[in-house]
Amino acid sequence: MTEFALRTDGAGKRYRKGWALRDCTLALPAGGVIALVGPNGAGKTTLLRLAVGLLAPSTGTVEVLGHDVTASTPRTLSRIGFLAQDHPLYKRFTVAEMLRFGRACNLRFDQGLAERRLAKLGIPLDRRAGTLSGGQQAQVALALALAKRPDLLVLDEPVASLDPLARHEFLQVLMGAVAEGGVTVLFSSHVVHELERVCDHLVVLNRGRVTLAGDIDTLLAEHRLLIGPRTATDPDRAATVVEAVHSDRHTTLLVRDGAIPTAPGWQAQPVALEDLVLAYLRRPSEPSAAVTSEVSA
Amino acid sequence: MTWLLWRQHRTEVCVLGLLVGMFGIALLVLGTHAHDLFPDGPAQCAGAAGLNDACAASFRRLDEEYGFVENLLAAFYLVPVVVGAFLGAPLLARELEDGTWQLAWTQAVPRMRWLAAKLAALAGVTLTLTGLFTAVLTWFRRPFDAWEGRFQYDAFDLEGLVPPAYALFAFGVATAAGAILRRSLPAFGVAFGAFLAARMSVALLARPTYATPLTTMERVPASGSKDRAGHRPDFADWTIERGYADATGRRLSSTEYYDLETAANRTGTNLNQFLHDRGIQQFGVYHPADRFWTFQLIETALFTTAAAVLIGVVVWRVRRRLI
Repeated sequence: MTEFALRTDGAGKRYRKGWALRDCTLALPAGGVIALVGPNGAGKTTLLRLAVGLLAPSTGTVEVLGHDVTASTPRTLSRIGFLAQDHPLYKRFTVAEMLRFGRACNLRFDQGLAERRLAKLGIPLDRRAGTLSGGQQAQVALALALAKRPDLLVLDEPVASLDPLARHEFLQVLMGAVAEGGVTVLFSSHVVHELERVCDHLVVLNRGRVTLAGDIDTLLAEHRLLIGPRTATDPDRAATVVEAVHSDRHTTLLVRDGAIPTAPGWQAQPVALEDLVLAYLRRPSEPSAAVTSEVSA
Repeated sequence: MTWLLWRQHRTEVCVLGLLVGMFGIALLVLGTHAHDLFPDGPAQCAGAAGLNDACAASFRRLDEEYGFVENLLAAFYLVPVVVGAFLGAPLLARELEDGTWQLAWTQAVPRMRWLAAKLAALAGVTLTLTGLFTAVLTWFRRPFDAWEGRFQYDAFDLEGLVPPAYALFAFGVATAAGAILRRSLPAFGVAFGAFLAARMSVALLARPTYATPLTTMERVPASGSKDRAGHRPDFADWTIERGYADATGRRLSSTEYYDLETAANRTGTNLNQFLHDRGIQQFGVYHPADRFWTFQLIETALFTTAAAVLIGVVVWRVRRRLI
């Protein structure tokens, strides 16, 4: 039996100003790396906070590692590591005190592991967290989360505020931890670039709704670009067209049709992950409507 | 959890402990001298300012040497709000401001346990600090109480059980405001404002109605300088209202009384004699001094209940994951 890292059924969250997440049904398998992609304000943070039990859903259910996370039992909580956006730390604590905080508040906490990681990065334990650079703060927060030896590690925009060097270093440490095994990583990002290299699974969120979710290899196999003479969308294909782009003489269709034979005059091409994600981000949230756009020249 | 509580709140606790300790020691030193003016203890002189020459002398020296301190005590009206709001405002607001609530509540300590530990510890510190300080202040005021009673605002509001209850109320407002506003400083401000508003309206409007006041009515004595000891309301009672009434008991307005005074002057008679002849009575509406502890208990219950409701709001919000 596959254990699901995160399973939601019709989950929604409404704040006073409106719905941040609607009708979200997902089943993300344990193991591997799951990317949650969407523009700012798409509901990524809300979904991740639901996943770690910081928020309770207004509708539907959220199950993490097979448990209702809003019950907040110490056992469930200790299986989840969370790194919030902007990697908050107690700024006036020293790094050593941050580790002591982790030890004091967890059932299992691998102090040695955290110390080794920080020593390798050259982060002194006696410095106050607030005086560290952004990249170092992110590393301390990651070391804290990993020292819990969680089964699920959730990261909210972990590299958004880091410079390219710190970003590279952070991802290296993160992927090293994944390679050591056991942990499922769920992270959000608005950067689509480089996802293919690190992720196994993809969820695209737009305006509070899930527009695409699945294994990346499967998604790439299901989708392709069809390029042909300029036409209106072929009615037989309308259901499978994700996006249609028309230039003066050509029409490019992004279709999700598996690999049925191509009509005469049309060329099939594989689609890059980035283009696939962008096409779904441009799409309105209603699943039936495809986007049609005009490209001049 | 104990270590975390101490590490996060040691600055506030130390600063408040130091301030309260300094004022407390100053009061103990001054108070020892003030108590020395009463060789048989201040209680022996209660109400005896006009009867006993030794007591009268003691009270005079008390007024000359320590009267200024008594006036300064009014500043201590603010001790409960400073202690309570200073500890309560950052409890949730600082975590929300810095984003660290997301860190605190995703460790293995469930948020309700975290909240319960924080509330218990910080409310405990609030009560301990204000309780100790109030004990010192109550002791310090004993000579002044023997002189003026304990029901005036400058005694009742600083003594006994009510200051810790005020502090708990301030703590509750500050914590709830912090949870809703998500900022420490505005939460502190709200707590300060709510504290002043609640304290003033309760002291001025609600407190006189905790029990039905008693009324005395007696004819104006013919000669005014008669010793009034033993007459109610006396120095230790809380006089709500006092004035003159005609022979039938109807209360006189100030214009009516002024007219009588003018008439007395015109005829050239002594005012008291003049009033006495017309059967004018003096009345006093008051709470007797022995209601002190009843009133203290009622007011303590009032503020403690308000604090409990506010803490309940905080618990409810955290439990429902509204924050």
